[in-house]
Amino acid sequence: MTATSRGFRREFASLEEVFAFLEDFTEVEEVGDREAFCINLVVEELFTNMVRHNEGGGESIAVTIGRVDDYVHLELVDFDVSPFDPSSAAKVSVTAGLAERNPGGLGLHIVKTMVDELTYDYDDENRRMRISVTKRLER
Amino acid sequence: MFEIQRSINGTIQMLGRLDASQVEKAEDVFDQIVESCVVDFAELKYISSAGLGLIFATHKRLVDGGGALTLINLNPHIREVFEITGFHHIFELS
Repeated sequence: MTATSRGFRREFASLEEVFAFLEDFTEVEEVGDREAFCINLVVEELFTNMVRHNEGGGESIAVTIGRVDDYVHLELVDFDVSPFDPSSAAKVSVTAGLAERNPGGLGLHIVKTMVDELTYDYDDENRRMRISVTKRLER
Repeated sequence: MFEIQRSINGTIQMLGRLDASQVEKAEDVFDQIVESCVVDFAELKYISSAGLGLIFATHKRLVDGGGALTLINLNPHIREVFEITGFHHIFELS
C-alpha cells in the first residue's frame, strides 16, 4: 500500500493545506476528477466535523491517504477528544420538502453516501478517535 | 481560492472552491439578498455542506418571503452533491 500522512492544525483555515496534501496524492495516483472531488469532500466533512465538535481536542488532526489496487483508504485521527461515532448520526430525510428540511447533518450524510466503507474506533485510554473510510476508484 | 460577486443584473457569480473556510465570505453576499436571485455556478469547482447550508438557508428565507434562488451552470460533480442531499428537489437547477 502506498500511503502518506500529515498533521493539520485544528482550524478551518487548514483546509487549503489539506486539499493541497490530497491533490499531491490524487495527481500521483492519477485518480479521476470525480473520485478526487469525492475524496476532497469526504475529508473536508470529516475534518470540519472534528474541528466543530471536538472542542478542547489536541492541536492537530492527522490525515492519512493511501491506495491498494482500486481502493483509496482515508484515515483521520483526532487526539484528546470525547467519543463520537459518525455512523450513528441521525439520518437525513433527503425527500422532505423545503419546509421540513434543515441543513443539519448534511456533511455526514454526504460522507456515508459517497464512500464504500466507514469505520470508527475510539481508544479510551488515549482519548483518540479514528475514522477510516474506503472509496473504490472507477476504472 | 474563492471569489464571489454580484453582477449589474443581480446575478451572483461564484468562482473557485466554496468550502468551510470560505463560507463567511459567501455569507456576506448571500445575507444581502432580499428578493429572487440567480446564482451562477459556472466557475465554481467545488462545494461542501458548509456552502450548501448557506445556499439552503438563503433560499428558505427567500421562499418564506415569496422569492427563490435559481441555480445555474452546476458542474456534474456539484450536481451530484445536490442529488445526494436531495437538494435537486428543492432548488430550481438549470
